[in-house]
Amino acid sequence: MATQLPPGLQLEKLDERIMTLNVGPQHPGSGHMRLIIKVDGDYIVSCDPDPGYVHRGEEKMAEYRNYIQNIPHLERPVIHDSCNILYPYCLGVEELLGLEVPERAQYLRVIASELNRCVYIQYWLAIYGIFLGHSTMFMWPAGDRELLIDLLEKITGARVTHAYFVPGGIRNDVPANFEDMCLKRVNYFEKRIKEYAAIFYDNPILISRTRGAGVLSREDAIRLGTTGSTLRASGVDFDLRKKEPYDAYGELDVHSDVLKDGDSYARSKIPWLDMFESCNIIRQALQKMPKSGSVRVKLKPNPKGGNDEVYKRVESGRGSLGCYIVSRSKPEPYRVKLSVGSFRNLICMPYLLKGEKLGNMPAVYWSLNYWPVEADR
Amino acid sequence: MGTATGIIKALNSGVKHLAVKRFTLRYPEQKLKFVGDGYQFDPTTGVGIAGYKGRHMLFHDKCTGCQLCAIACEGVAEAIGMVKVQEEWKHNKKAIMPQIDYGKCVFCGLCVDACPFYALYMTNDYELSSFTKEALIYTPAQLQVKPYVQQDAEIIFDARGATHG
Ligand code: SF4
Ligand code: SF4
Repeated sequence: MATQLPPGLQLEKLDERIMTLNVGPQHPGSGHMRLIIKVDGDYIVSCDPDPGYVHRGEEKMAEYRNYIQNIPHLERPVIHDSCNILYPYCLGVEELLGLEVPERAQYLRVIASELNRCVYIQYWLAIYGIFLGHSTMFMWPAGDRELLIDLLEKITGARVTHAYFVPGGIRNDVPANFEDMCLKRVNYFEKRIKEYAAIFYDNPILISRTRGAGVLSREDAIRLGTTGSTLRASGVDFDLRKKEPYDAYGELDVHSDVLKDGDSYARSKIPWLDMFESCNIIRQALQKMPKSGSVRVKLKPNPKGGNDEVYKRVESGRGSLGCYIVSRSKPEPYRVKLSVGSFRNLICMPYLLKGEKLGNMPAVYWSLNYWPVEADR
Repeated sequence: MGTATGIIKALNSGVKHLAVKRFTLRYPEQKLKFVGDGYQFDPTTGVGIAGYKGRHMLFHDKCTGCQLCAIACEGVAEAIGMVKVQEEWKHNKKAIMPQIDYGKCVFCGLCVDACPFYALYMTNDYELSSFTKEALIYTPAQLQVKPYVQQDAEIIFDARGATHG
């Protein structure tokens, strides 16, 4: 009977030694997705990721809404990185409509997206910690990220779904004593994340667990099209904030860290180092930002783009995040396509898990900085 | 660094945290402080005013029944419906005003941006849970009331870490 089921649904033994295991989709450390894993004893012989359980049709929905109404739903795939996922869309629409973003808005966008990157990475780190059985590393990031969530709430008015960026600038200016508040929190935040070193990153137990697990070589990382922290952990220095600066990033000094090892440990360390860099960028931006001025270009109701198409990409918490918009002289876009870092990092998972122990699966899987909802869109 | 030193350092780092202040908001007793009076919008400049995006507030003396807020929400959550009100206003001949279903609203504030007459703002009120679905639908009369929001805790930094006051 089992042979009539579609491939991957059978749970029978394929031969004497090999057994198929379904990991997920009920989230036992897999996210909302399924991994079809074949094991020989304790070792994984093949892995077939099966995403798509949280597909929401964001791209299709975008075709029925005008350029402004698309903002709240386009940030849903990664609500805890909502500024960064809206960023390429806003840059694209600005080019379609020919808008010039005021300088103050450019800096505030940089600050908001860097704060949001830290919030995202802290959440990811908490999950990575708990799936390695390190419950302190779940509690600390989850608590410390509250500092920045609270700050973002004061700026944007919402804890996670900010809907803050808008084509032509940002929705509202920051509150009165923002610079003071931001500097204080970022400095304290930086002091806090330094303390993660002793308990997590220099912890011999973590190192012995993740060093050498799921090694991705430099050539493979490029060949498989990975991006973000996965790519930089394999020794490729690629950061869009540096290579294709958008908005105010051109005027700021960005140094993103690169590690050579390409293993699970390196992949988990890059986001942590990124948070220090984000703190640096925020401090620079606070200094260089014009102290007053307009933050949003006034739009006509129902703005229309021409017969045109644009592709814009930014560096999100999970790597390069692109948005391709086709406009056909209507208030609604003809097509919106999101190219997300999560899906691109998912592709290398079968290569990394082959030959690993089953118990190491979460260590490799979560180090890829993969977010199921974003990958499914 | 040897394995033993590493483990001792990790344990030490955890133990040191016994002296760090607890960073927990004791929620129903303590409530967070917000900036300002909620998210508002200035149609003349086209820029919002920073504030929390909570339950809306409707000013009956300003609403003209133009339905622009309902049109803006149509593409977002379809939370706004226009209903008849038993009031007579010179500027509102049709006597219709928005009614908001908080079972659908996502608190994006696009309706506030759309209102050209300063009639729709957002407040700091976020405690909207109810036992029935119907109670989540706020009529124009309910939206008129300015909510009381307790705000007493704020993040404070001192030598022993950050706390909620
Ligand atoms: S806040 Fe957004 S979802 Fe809620 S009523 Fe206004 S437009 Fe609709
Ligand atoms: S609240 Fe504003 S946008 Fe909505 S009907 Fe009244 S005046 Fe028009």
